[in-house]
Amino acid sequence: MSGVTLSNVIKKYGDVQVIHGIDLEIENGEFCVFVGPSGCGKSTLMRMVAGLEETTSGGITIGTRDVTRLDPSQRGVAMVFQTYALYPHMTVAENMGFGLKMNGVPKPEIAEKVAEAARILKLEPLLERKPKALSGGQRQRVAIGRTIVRGPEVFLFDEPLSNLDAELRVDMRVEIASLHKQIGATMIYVTHDQVEAMTLADKIVVLRAGRIEQVGAPLDLYRDPDNRFVAGFIGSPAMNFLSGHVAQGALSIPALKDVPALGLRLPSDGTKVELGIRPEHLQIDPDGEGFRLDLIEKLGGISYAYLHAETGERLIIATDGESDLTDEMDVGITFNPARAYLFLAETGLRLR
Amino acid sequence: MPRQHASGFALTQRQAAVILLAPFLTVYAVFLVYPFFKGIWISLHDWNLMAVAFNPDAKTYVGLRNYERVMWGRNITWGALASPGFQIIGLIGVLASAFLYRTGRAGKVTALAMGIATLLLFVLPGFHPGEGGRWYDRRFWPTVGNTILFVGLAVPGVTITAMLLAAALDGETRAKAVLRTLFFLSQVLSVTVVTLIWQIMFSPRQGLIANLTQLFGGSPIVWLTAEGFAMAAIVIATIWWSLGIAMILFLAGIQDISKDLYEAGALDNATGAKAFWYITLPNLKRTITVVVVLQIILHFQVFGQSHLMTSGGPNDTTQVLVRYIYQTAFRDSELGRASAMAVFLFVIMGGFSILQFVLGREKDE
Repeated sequence: MSGVTLSNVIKKYGDVQVIHGIDLEIENGEFCVFVGPSGCGKSTLMRMVAGLEETTSGGITIGTRDVTRLDPSQRGVAMVFQTYALYPHMTVAENMGFGLKMNGVPKPEIAEKVAEAARILKLEPLLERKPKALSGGQRQRVAIGRTIVRGPEVFLFDEPLSNLDAELRVDMRVEIASLHKQIGATMIYVTHDQVEAMTLADKIVVLRAGRIEQVGAPLDLYRDPDNRFVAGFIGSPAMNFLSGHVAQGALSIPALKDVPALGLRLPSDGTKVELGIRPEHLQIDPDGEGFRLDLIEKLGGISYAYLHAETGERLIIATDGESDLTDEMDVGITFNPARAYLFLAETGLRLR
Repeated sequence: MPRQHASGFALTQRQAAVILLAPFLTVYAVFLVYPFFKGIWISLHDWNLMAVAFNPDAKTYVGLRNYERVMWGRNITWGALASPGFQIIGLIGVLASAFLYRTGRAGKVTALAMGIATLLLFVLPGFHPGEGGRWYDRRFWPTVGNTILFVGLAVPGVTITAMLLAAALDGETRAKAVLRTLFFLSQVLSVTVVTLIWQIMFSPRQGLIANLTQLFGGSPIVWLTAEGFAMAAIVIATIWWSLGIAMILFLAGIQDISKDLYEAGALDNATGAKAFWYITLPNLKRTITVVVVLQIILHFQVFGQSHLMTSGGPNDTTQVLVRYIYQTAFRDSELGRASAMAVFLFVIMGGFSILQFVLGREKDE
């Protein structure tokens, strides 16, 4: 088992560059999640690690081996596809053993490894079925079983849960997490769902438009985002942003009557900025003013209040589940200045 | 008022269906159903084409005599090893289909179809004239044999070539698109043009093939008049001619296979020929069935190639069933006997049509 290193990896389709020089270190045994909006290049990057996409320039190392120009089958990786990509004409057992068969492993050894993987994933009663006769969750498990049987150095998951219904998705997420604990191999996991990223990852790589925005442990990204994009992407519901500017060495946010001091060194006068506060760090002041409560969703454990400011900016606030607020109220907001973030409007960089 | 008026013209779904289907059904009945039953009726008569044309009453009902005169003979006996080659293959086939079914490697219908086909191969060649006996029509069964041989060579030839071509030409490059068009183009030619092209190709003097053999120091083969080669020549021309449709069907089948499977295959070390064998081929099973059955039905009706390239010769080795029917009916004016042969051909092709229908409905086990 081994880690994965990407150094200045670039991918071009013709003249169009989609991955712009990515450097990344994934430790041995780490669960690394690539996350980002669709089209950010996260799947492409994983497929380059798998060898399914050619790397235009740069290098990919798995363990101590440079695999940049190797065939997919020689890289010591196994992959779970979004569509599972099970061979429809083979039984579950044949599907799981196919990789070993193609590599000339003797039959008894294949049978042993398939049985072992089937035991881990509780697939034993299904071994003789064809994929068509399986449910979505079972197919998913077979696809995972296929990777386990191969015994790869690195496991790759390409949005594996996106074809499952919500309930099953939670179950499989837990199963994948426990599988990682059990096997302890390096895993790379691609998703656009930040909840999956937060719950599974040791390390999250946030990508946008073929570039890394930030790399870090889930809670580090949550607490300490480098820029507006990461701040807005990590956390659910997303962070609220209020725009403003610096005037006479102080912060001016039109939506807020009085702006608390954030204790930051502000840039020069006239610089446009955005104030970011997470829904869970905002409180509603029923006696205040300046905001209109459009709607409140009461989910029991928690409520989400949808507000708009006089400037038209919208906010979401997470509040007490049994809140006695009602729709169409005029309210104010309060927050702890230590929990607020300030970003440059132009570049999105965070001011610290 | 206007509402009532409108409802007066409204048709129920059933009425609309009847009206829209009527033109087709009329044509179908007049040109297919009626001639079909008329053909069966003619086959039960001693019916001379010329005589009946001049005098409609110059026909006599003879029951199944025509069938007997075509297919049977005097002192016909049956022996388990009268024609050892075919019969041993048939016997092996029967056992193989039973074995495949027992071990679960072949589905019920597939096993049954294979069993019946091989059983016929065992039973039919066993019939032969006993001592002092002879077939009433010495040419009929050899002609059937030639037709089966032709189908047996042309169908696998077309299927395998078309499948390999489709695998090679599947893709988005411009060259592949051009080649696909070129290979399909032969399909639109008429049989006259195709046979003309291949007569030139096979010509021992200026033909391309003769030139090639000479280039490598061989002496040219007189393809169309050499007994061992005439059938091969017809089969080659036919493969070239009917490649297109099969290739298109295979292309559709191949493009239906998810690209993910090949990527999974690449990770599993199955690329190139291995990917074709383990991923493409098993997923083309249905397409292969369709292509094979369609080709069988199509090629049992071979006529033009044999008629135009070799005139059934040399020594009747390329005489095929439809050409024999044609000659019996329009050269010998024996319309009754010809119709009996045509009914025989219909039974064979009907069998394969039913097979295709059944296989098409069979769910994957």
